[in-house]
Amino acid sequence: MTRFLLWLAGGVVLGGIIHILVILAMPALTQQSVWTRVAAIEADNRMAILEPVVAGQPNPLGLDPEMVYGLCRVDLAQGPAYIRGTLPDAFWSVALFNQAGMVTYSTTNRDGIGQVLDLGIFNADQTRLLAQQQIDIAEGTLVVESTTDKLLILVRLAPQQQVMRTRFAQALAGISCSTVAP
Amino acid sequence: MRFVFYLLMMFAVALGVGFGLSYYALTDGRLFGVAQAGPWHAWPDVGSSAPNPYTRAHLARTAQFELGQAEGLQFTATTDSDGQPLSRDCSYRLDGTTPLASFWTLVALDDTGTNIAVRDVAPSLRSSDVARGNDGALQVNVGTRLMPGTWLELAGSGPFQLVLRLYDTAVFSGLSSNETMPSITRGDCA
Repeated sequence: MTRFLLWLAGGVVLGGIIHILVILAMPALTQQSVWTRVAAIEADNRMAILEPVVAGQPNPLGLDPEMVYGLCRVDLAQGPAYIRGTLPDAFWSVALFNQAGMVTYSTTNRDGIGQVLDLGIFNADQTRLLAQQQIDIAEGTLVVESTTDKLLILVRLAPQQQVMRTRFAQALAGISCSTVAP
Repeated sequence: MRFVFYLLMMFAVALGVGFGLSYYALTDGRLFGVAQAGPWHAWPDVGSSAPNPYTRAHLARTAQFELGQAEGLQFTATTDSDGQPLSRDCSYRLDGTTPLASFWTLVALDDTGTNIAVRDVAPSLRSSDVARGNDGALQVNVGTRLMPGTWLELAGSGPFQLVLRLYDTAVFSGLSSNETMPSITRGDCA
């Protein structure tokens, strides 16, 4: 009986090790990520408006039907990225996603930004040049340092009524988003 | 012979515990990084720039645009307040208050994440569109059969889940005084 329990305990310990390995390896082993799911969308250095969620249709990105989404893909190896424009007077937010699909930075217009979106995204080298005043930025630009070069920038905009959706999508499409060679 | 039996048993237990625990951690996850508020659960770390390993694995599994920490938090309910799985055979009523947020939205999804609202009406509800009692508590009816008041009308049959997204909220940050979520009460069933 003791021997049986020892083997059983060994199985549980080994199971715990397998569990830890599975959890740690899952991000590396997965074939789908939010990055690959939007690979077909032409969003390189431009704000692309994502298709609205329709009942009965697949929603692999997990989007909220109430929101209008703008997506922009940038590579900071080409230079700092700037997102600029004015959005309607409603709730909006910005999130930066790395290639693993993790949110590396997010903010909302409730953080005192108001309607004007003016965000500059810099990698570590560019942040150093910024501190040395070798990169000029406009006054009022919100500076964000990114640890990775390749980023997805997702802007969520919440129209108060669905009839405003088209106008809000047009306003979001008018936001500039691109890298600028230093 | 006994050695081989013990060895096979150990491997069976190890595989069962290892993969079973991993599946449980990433589907239910109650013991591993998921916050529970009544029938609702959320991954509070999902919008963080340095999530814990369980949340990281959850992110890899879902591969969706999650809300950043500054943006809000998504809650999901797969059961009612009595622990019974949500089914489109039944009607449900949401009562109570949500944690402080700029606004919230509510959608119903099937197992694949597809929105199951009736096609010719809005696929979601927003907090500003919801009827409330005198005390400010929300009152929302969910189901496939006609119901009074604010009604999220569903189509089809089978199990479903409710997803409530709180935008611009401080819930689970330690700054929110109210972390209670609405109750989900089952009504009539077909």
